[in-house]
Amino acid sequence: MNEFGIFQENGLSQTRRQLFGRAALGLGTASLAQLMGPSLQAATTSEGMHHKATAKRVIYLFMSGGPSQHDMWDYKPKMQEMFGKDLPEYVRDGQRITGMTSRQKTLPVCPSKYKFTRQENNQDGVWVSELLPHTAKVVKDLCVVHTTFTEAINHDPAITYIQTGSQIPGRPSMGSWLSYGLGNVNENLPGYVVMHAKSSHAEQSLFGRLWGSGFMPSEHQGVLLRSQGDPVLYLGNPKDVSRSDRRNQLDALSALNYEQHQRLGDPEILSRIKQHEMAYRMQTSVPELMDLSSESDETFKLYGEEARQAGTFSACCLNARRLIERGVRNVQIFHRGWDAHGNLPREHESQCKDIDQACAALIIDLKRKGMLEDTLVVWGGEFGRTAYCQGGLKKENYGRDHHPRCFTTWMAGGGVKPGITYGKTDDFGYNIADADGNVLKPQPDKEKHTPGTMHIHDLNATILHLLGIDHKKLTYRYQGRDFRLTDIHGHVIKELLA
Amino acid sequence: MRRIAIACLLVGPIWSEEGPDFSTEILPILSNKCFACHGPDAKKDEVRLDSYEGATEDLGGYSAIDSEKPEDGELLIRIHDEKDPMPPEDAEKQLTKAERELLSRWVKSGGRYAEHWAFVKPGIVEGGSIDHLVEAKLDGKGFAPEADRHTLARRVALVLTGLPPERGQLEAYVKSGDFEKLVDQLLGSERFGEHQARYWLDAVRYGDTHGLHLDNKRGIYPYRDWVVKAFNENLPFDDFITWQLAGDLLENPTVAQRVATGYVRMNVSTAEGGAIPAEFQAKNNFDRTENFGTIFLGMTLNCARCHTHKYDPIVHEEYYQLMAFFNSTSESPMDGNKYEYKPVMKAPANAADWRRWDAYLEKREALKAKGEGDFVEEAKKLDEEKSNLEKAFTTTLVAEELKKKRETKVLRRGEYNEPMGEPVSRGVFEVLNPFPKDAPKNRLGLAQWTTSRENPLVARVLVNRFWQSVFGAGLVRSPEDFGLQGRQPTHPKLLDWLAVDFQESGWDYKGLMKMMVMSKTFRQDSLRRADLEDPENLLLGRGPSYRLDAEVIRDLGLWTGGLLDPTMGGEGVKPFQPGGMWAALSHPGSNTKKYVADKDQRVFRRSLYVYWKRTSPHPMMTLFDAPSREVSCVRRTSGNTPLQSLALFNEPQRVAMAQGVASRLLAEKKNDAERVNQLFQWIACRDASEHERTVCLKLLKQAKDAKHDEKSAWSQLAGAALASDTTILLY
Repeated sequence: MNEFGIFQENGLSQTRRQLFGRAALGLGTASLAQLMGPSLQAATTSEGMHHKATAKRVIYLFMSGGPSQHDMWDYKPKMQEMFGKDLPEYVRDGQRITGMTSRQKTLPVCPSKYKFTRQENNQDGVWVSELLPHTAKVVKDLCVVHTTFTEAINHDPAITYIQTGSQIPGRPSMGSWLSYGLGNVNENLPGYVVMHAKSSHAEQSLFGRLWGSGFMPSEHQGVLLRSQGDPVLYLGNPKDVSRSDRRNQLDALSALNYEQHQRLGDPEILSRIKQHEMAYRMQTSVPELMDLSSESDETFKLYGEEARQAGTFSACCLNARRLIERGVRNVQIFHRGWDAHGNLPREHESQCKDIDQACAALIIDLKRKGMLEDTLVVWGGEFGRTAYCQGGLKKENYGRDHHPRCFTTWMAGGGVKPGITYGKTDDFGYNIADADGNVLKPQPDKEKHTPGTMHIHDLNATILHLLGIDHKKLTYRYQGRDFRLTDIHGHVIKELLA
Repeated sequence: MRRIAIACLLVGPIWSEEGPDFSTEILPILSNKCFACHGPDAKKDEVRLDSYEGATEDLGGYSAIDSEKPEDGELLIRIHDEKDPMPPEDAEKQLTKAERELLSRWVKSGGRYAEHWAFVKPGIVEGGSIDHLVEAKLDGKGFAPEADRHTLARRVALVLTGLPPERGQLEAYVKSGDFEKLVDQLLGSERFGEHQARYWLDAVRYGDTHGLHLDNKRGIYPYRDWVVKAFNENLPFDDFITWQLAGDLLENPTVAQRVATGYVRMNVSTAEGGAIPAEFQAKNNFDRTENFGTIFLGMTLNCARCHTHKYDPIVHEEYYQLMAFFNSTSESPMDGNKYEYKPVMKAPANAADWRRWDAYLEKREALKAKGEGDFVEEAKKLDEEKSNLEKAFTTTLVAEELKKKRETKVLRRGEYNEPMGEPVSRGVFEVLNPFPKDAPKNRLGLAQWTTSRENPLVARVLVNRFWQSVFGAGLVRSPEDFGLQGRQPTHPKLLDWLAVDFQESGWDYKGLMKMMVMSKTFRQDSLRRADLEDPENLLLGRGPSYRLDAEVIRDLGLWTGGLLDPTMGGEGVKPFQPGGMWAALSHPGSNTKKYVADKDQRVFRRSLYVYWKRTSPHPMMTLFDAPSREVSCVRRTSGNTPLQSLALFNEPQRVAMAQGVASRLLAEKKNDAERVNQLFQWIACRDASEHERTVCLKLLKQAKDAKHDEKSAWSQLAGAALASDTTILLY
């Protein structure tokens, strides 16, 4: 063993460092990945880190606030007969509920007001509500999971849980785990890009930790692509500094840094010179990325005219496609406003209008460009919504509280089985059920997976698997512990793999 | 619950053959590769390898280690058994060949156990000194030559105060070579406390907002100002710890002692609509307990929240015994989204007010000392002064103990709604020093235990972090983990000597800092050495070099540009920040949704005072690796990204700094050569080299050729120089 255990700190940089020998010590992982050159990168990244990757990149459409599975994906006709009646006690079965409805006298069953239609897929079909007319048309490409579940029942813990693997702040985000695992193969753009889409009901908070790097170095943070001001923070030069001025400034800076390198011999200085050069390239590559003038009218027809308006969910989806075309492998869009405690119909109609066409367009667009097969698209929120109504219940208007026991997410492309559904819920969309309708009470269990269920750790394990990463092997040592995105849990759900 | 005895890590029989060192060579392997199944949290019938007793226990005709016939022990057989190997084939962590050999040698030499080094009280190291103990490890290759005076002056000023030396200090030192005088001046500067406080605020996760959900404003900055003051006044560190843990429990606590208890209130908090109070009562306590573990014990206790620790000898129940100390404070588990999240008190609102308050206290003491006599007039005047001062006081969160203790129970898997068995009593870990006999079983007693000379961890953990702040890396490179999974100290004797010396000095922080920076070790040149293959400087055979922290990079720029506002303390300041950064992620009901930048001189205060919204700190902080302060950070990472380059050149504050430099240079110096030298005097404390001068003059010419006026051309040069590694590194 090395005398001071200097190679112990984390398993990944160990392998990279060993590849390079000791000369490379002290360089950041990102800069190492750059030094490694394309051939070595291929060996560790595009072919997959631990096994062959079926997805080379991922676009994660995150619906913050908890979209209602009842009104979009999980069709429960039997609830209609129960309208307004108290949810049978055996259904809830001691489930803890949030402080917002725990004092409510009754928990009236609240069927969806929306019409559901059965859409053909590659299996037995899937029911989709009228709120998602466009998405309904691409279900042959989707793998719809009705039985995602979590333990957290409030936003902050739940969103932190699904995005970092822990309900308590402090861990790296999923995106930064991917950045750490996959590295950045891109010469002109950051490897992990995050967008915040506009919403008329942006009620719940987001947190820097959802794309932050926690205890990992800052190079793994998500880079925000913004719709206000500079698209990337501080991208634009001050107004009296031209591009050639900046070139001259950088040349001078490099000359000064080289001299500093001679004084100190620190390889990190050389690596920093490269980062300055990448910044310079980003000053043209990002505006080129954001310039949609080369996109055809047909594309705007596909995504909807609002895609021309910066910051809309449509524009973000189009940007996502443009990013991955340019070699970015990890894109995340956060869309807020799904926390419909009251006036759910009004809010969800507007929310669905924001996303529906763009989600479908993204699938169609990727497919026609031949990119869907190796691009994973993920859609979902941090939990679902209750079968019972929060506040006053009317046929036409109602609200729903948070529901962790089951909710719907979907995935597409990147080696996911297309046109299937996975998992069933009971007649109230309240509990996960087996094929015969018997209620299951799955718990995250590191030994065994309950078939037909997908805990959020399972979801994350499966996403990593598709990207060629074994979620048990992607570790980062901090505070003496080898941390994982999936903590000590997570099962790859093999039934979803093509 | 049955108390699980930790008969752990007792010393076995002493064998004659010299084997590997257990604590540094064997225990790390056992911990990392075996303890997950065979450690303190092993299943009932599993072989235990975390103690000699466990390893030699008769398992029905065989044992893991056979003390009679080492060759026959199961451990040795299984690690070499290809058909039925240990660790099992599917285990994630496998032994390397070298590790197998070490384990074999160890078993054959008798399989001796010893306690993990960090759990044994540091011993007295005779004749110790930093340089003596460092040089001993340099294999006769000796120290690097001393850095030149210019470099050294810059280095020591940045390390102690986070700013370059003042011009007069620099010139005097370069002329006289009196390094100690320079060091004393820096230690006496108020900038010292500001810079040192930063590390502490990272550790205790200081923020100006609650941190969860709405992430509303929280009134607690008097705590931050008190920390600065404590460092400047060189408050003995044991008092510094005691006041924070239990200032409210001292007899007739002073304002400062109560303000210090803000530490206990520093956990993130929520008032999310659906949140369940009992859940957050538990979570808030986990947060406090684990912060205590990280910053004082250098141990990660999180694991023991759910089960007995996999690696370190901490039993599940013990976690809750420690937590019980923090479980009887009077605040509600939910913050109500309130600035005044009770209990709160009123305290001086900035450094100047603290000074006035202290002056008043002194006068009052003086009056008391006068003894008998008629001082009614004077007393009345003092009362008036007091009430005037108090009018300007502001809110700060403090700790208060409930009259009746809250019960604490062990929680199954750390779930708040799954308490197990009878309530536990307050207590500390059996593997460490016992709780002092006469100490009260409350936070004050906990402080006494923490600062006890018998505590093997606290002084080591602290001096290691102080060392890290001076040298860029600790003697233990995992300052957050001194447990079995942590790194071994590079210089164990030095760490022990420093720890004991720190305690014996009366916990004299300034004295320790002075000793570190006065050492030869610190004063070496930072150039990597051809004769010493040591990229990470583990041997300390060269001076420190590292990228400066976010705050120092910004402060240095403000200082160079002549913009720095030295005003100390008060409410967090809001320098320019790109529009919409808070709004894009905030709840509409949050009172930190809208960022309104300050307009006056305040924007140029030191970065220590920049408003810290925990869910979205200022981007110039996070881009340069500052933590969010939602959780403790005792070691910042050092990233290297293109976004940093964009920020260094284009961020509006940086542009103002560069313009400030240009204006100063044009006003103060007559020709370009002198200006370039002055620029380097500011950023590097020396004149420019020939090459640097050429580079700078070339850039200047290019800018002028591109029709930029003098000011603009100089701003471009200053911008590049401020972004260069000559400026943003410590060396």
